Amino acid sequence: MTSGAETGAAAVRVRGLWKRFGQQVAVAGIDLDLPAGKFIGLVGPNGAGKTTTLSIITGLLRPDQGSVEVVGHDVWRDPVEVKARIGVLPEGLRLFERLSGRELLAYSGRLRGLPGAEVDKRVTQLLDVLDLAGAQHKLVVDYSTGMRKKIGLAAALLHNPEVLFLDEPFEGVDPVSAQTIRGVLERYTASGATVVFSSHVMELVESLCDWVAVLAAGRIRAQGTLAEVRGDAPTLQQAFLELVGANARDTGSHLDWLGGGATR
Amino acid sequence: MSGTAVSITPVVVRLKLSLLRNGLRQSSGRRAAYVASVVAVLLVSAVQLLGLIALRGHEHAASVVVLLVAVLAAGWAVMPLFFPGGDETLDPTRLVMLPLRPRPLVRALLAASLVGIGPLFTLCMLAGAVVSVAHGGVAYVVGVVGVVLALLVCVALARAVAAANLRLLTSRKGRDLAVLSGLVIAIGAQVVNFGAQRLGSSGLGQLDGPADVLKWVPPASAIGAADSASEGSYGIAVLQLALTAAALVALIAWWSRHLTRLMTAPDGSTLQATDSGARERTSTGLSRLLPAGRTGTVMERSLRYVWRDPKTKAAWVTSLAIGLIVPVFNALQGSGSIYFACFAAGMLGVQMYNQFGQDTSAFWMVAMTISSTRDAYVELRARALALLVITLPYATLVTVLTTALLGDWPKLPEVLGLSFALLGAMLATGAWTSARFPYSIPQEGYKNVAPGQSGLAFMAILGGMVSSALLCAPVIAGTIWLNVSEGGDKWSWLLLPVGAVYGTAITVAGLRMAAPRTARQLPEILTAVSKG
Repeated sequence: MTSGAETGAAAVRVRGLWKRFGQQVAVAGIDLDLPAGKFIGLVGPNGAGKTTTLSIITGLLRPDQGSVEVVGHDVWRDPVEVKARIGVLPEGLRLFERLSGRELLAYSGRLRGLPGAEVDKRVTQLLDVLDLAGAQHKLVVDYSTGMRKKIGLAAALLHNPEVLFLDEPFEGVDPVSAQTIRGVLERYTASGATVVFSSHVMELVESLCDWVAVLAAGRIRAQGTLAEVRGDAPTLQQAFLELVGANARDTGSHLDWLGGGATR
Repeated sequence: MSGTAVSITPVVVRLKLSLLRNGLRQSSGRRAAYVASVVAVLLVSAVQLLGLIALRGHEHAASVVVLLVAVLAAGWAVMPLFFPGGDETLDPTRLVMLPLRPRPLVRALLAASLVGIGPLFTLCMLAGAVVSVAHGGVAYVVGVVGVVLALLVCVALARAVAAANLRLLTSRKGRDLAVLSGLVIAIGAQVVNFGAQRLGSSGLGQLDGPADVLKWVPPASAIGAADSASEGSYGIAVLQLALTAAALVALIAWWSRHLTRLMTAPDGSTLQATDSGARERTSTGLSRLLPAGRTGTVMERSLRYVWRDPKTKAAWVTSLAIGLIVPVFNALQGSGSIYFACFAAGMLGVQMYNQFGQDTSAFWMVAMTISSTRDAYVELRARALALLVITLPYATLVTVLTTALLGDWPKLPEVLGLSFALLGAMLATGAWTSARFPYSIPQEGYKNVAPGQSGLAFMAILGGMVSSALLCAPVIAGTIWLNVSEGGDKWSWLLLPVGAVYGTAITVAGLRMAAPRTARQLPEILTAVSKG
């Protein structure tokens, strides 16, 4: 991969991003260049600042310092250009759950100013592809975790965004739903769109992404193509553990009583 | 299994005592509320015990106590449906992982149910009931047996109802039901109030009819037995006691069966809910009547939430009920002023407050689609319009009804004008405070404000109401002037168009002021409404 060779190909450009919550520093000076047209994984342990970073990039949280550009437009100065071009699936925020799946998508699409007939057509197709057609008239509040993620993904895709931000899209999702989501995302990136998603499941990131940024304690530890970040390590998992410094911990001697068949 | 050899009853009773004690270990605010409620219940118990003892010898004493016990038992049956979180030992699925057999478990849970403030209250009432009707040694013996049986029936009833409905109670629909429980209590209080007034006017003799029936229905039959024994009808007394005992056995058997099923069948949360299919599809007609674009979309969503979201629904029903009750009841009693009709507009206007808090953290979906002041203005305007769809006809109806009851038709235009002006002012201040002072509404439990934000909510609503009154000052002043000035009555009809135009203008102005702030502060609003 010729990183940086494409002219103005950054889907997301982040410079000097800081965010504090009281005493706690969630994001400590992040610089990030995410290339367009790639499947990008944002990885890091719990509490690394993944959700905070994604919230700031998508304009749902105001940073203390720093700038964010998405497809060449400043998120804070030019929200009209940015909001029309991005789709978001946040983590830990509700949906309008007292609407049925179909109503939620219709609401979301019309709110974005798409014509009603077009919205209805796209909604039907998305519900079909995501295997939600059978539950389309059920209230979202009664959906399972996997179904919620899928309906959230549908809402994020409805207006055909250029960049899609997904916070933990596979968290708590059953293998069947995960495969469905995967299929949709792969088709979407194949057409030249960009997907940025956060996860702490390395196998998944390794098999899906062609570009990875590793985040720990509010800082970027590494970013680049999968091969660059993996380096000499046999797997991304190993490389990741070394990057975040979690490899040295020894759990062997403490739980010596734990084991099958022994007396209680 | 060694578990069954040791009785689990003391363990479960101790668990219940720990849970009660832990009520004291919560934060100081909760502890104060807990202690206050315990003291209040104890005081009420003491007062009603004294009251029942004072009733002794009264002609209709037996009817009164039989009826009271029946109401009490009904309360025990209904309580678990509305307060499922009230007693954690009530939920047997929490014990499902332990190797317990149903029979000892039933015994243990029944014993644990007898510990607590509710059983104590019931015991006081039952004891008082026996004292008020029992005359002679035999009657007291029957009474003591009756009290024990009645108490056990009450407790077993609550347990059995809870076990039978646990699937419902732990489901989403059950939690929705719990949010509406406050309303049921408020309406119940109105019914009790109404009943008490009727009794006050036409005497306790009216109770004899229902009491004659209820004294054969357990657990009231146990108290009926004490009364029968006092009159020397020992055969009837024994029959009534036997009936109570039979009811107890039946209840325990019913409970035990449900318990066994609960402990062996899969949990409700893992069962796939059957698709309710076409039922939800009926509301598509609504969208055809609404304007196109963002306005109609937002209105449709807002109106759907009035019906479907339990918190929003509870708030609306409260506003609608109070907005109707205050002016109409006052008019019925002949003490009301026609200007009370403005109450409806005021109460419903409150629903415009904290618009984004009502969205909860789902507000992000709105925030993602607002990228200009214009978007924010259309969003807020659509929410105001959705509110007006209900409020405008309702406020008009209440005003006309109040006027009809008071027969003061010449005043109708000016009161309507005032209502519209007030509604406009409430919408304007509501929109502005929604943008300026958003706060989150917790979705679980009965609270309407997240911890730490109550000051904010209070200031927003109080400040908004005061400023609404001030904003209406021109129309109020005009009304007063036309009423006091000579010949002013001829022109008072003018207040209707003036009030309507003024209300509209002030609403538009409020929305225009709220929109830029909303558009600028989207992340801050999202953070504020996502708490708790």
